[in-house]
Amino acid sequence: MPDKPISYEELTSGYKFAPATYELNASFVSKYLRAVDGSGDGFVPPLAITACAIAAMTKTIPLPPGTIAIHASQELEFFRPVPIGATIDCHIGVAQKIARGKMSMLVLELEILDKDKEKVQSGRATIALPA
Amino acid sequence: MLTEIQEGKALGPVVKHITQEKINLYAEASGDFNPIHVDESFAAKTPFGGTIAHGMLNLAYVSEMMTSAFGESWLSGGKLRAKFKESARPGDTLTITGTIFCIEQKSDVSYANCNFEVRSQKDETIVTGETIVRLSSGKE
Repeated sequence: MPDKPISYEELTSGYKFAPATYELNASFVSKYLRAVDGSGDGFVPPLAITACAIAAMTKTIPLPPGTIAIHASQELEFFRPVPIGATIDCHIGVAQKIARGKMSMLVLELEILDKDKEKVQSGRATIALPA
Repeated sequence: MLTEIQEGKALGPVVKHITQEKINLYAEASGDFNPIHVDESFAAKTPFGGTIAHGMLNLAYVSEMMTSAFGESWLSGGKLRAKFKESARPGDTLTITGTIFCIEQKSDVSYANCNFEVRSQKDETIVTGETIVRLSSGKE
């Protein structure tokens, strides 16, 4: 997602990652449903959409090798069902970075739009990391 | 879907068994290959002592319960707030339950406020949280 690599120290409140685009095709949905033991209902499961955004986000957070990042909390809001085959854009930014003892908490905001730029999902993820 | 949406109505249970194979499948589907989930030798040397399931995998089961209870209302007007308390591991059986604790009316629209819990067979709380579902308005 970022145009150029940045260090973890450079991730400050207000930092925006470059948007990531995903095509939520039938093959992706089928793989996701197998992983979660789910059955399809014609729409992309909303948490499959979030999973794309979270994975994109965690892949781009520059951490030293061996660092364990723990997903501490998650907030989500769904605005519309997303049909299989849709393309989405994930916009992610740093809302807060808090040092708490030996841990650091990174609060990330995400907004997911469809091809018509309509919001399909928004949320906040809190990731705990060793400081 | 629920035939009656009323305060006190139970949601679920949804019961899921966690295996390393499912965690690996989830990693492939989501693209999240964090070694704490998929690399058993790496994970064994961490304070977790072994691999753990993705938090979003546990949350997917909550969404399944909500979709099954509320259908498209969940997909187009659902809100969720979750705290990951403990990690689920391969071999765990998770039971996901919830309750509609309040139905609110705001400007001609009803909202179902629910709580939920993901518990393991060891009676550990893995995830807790709340959801809000916008139900159809009186005008629809």
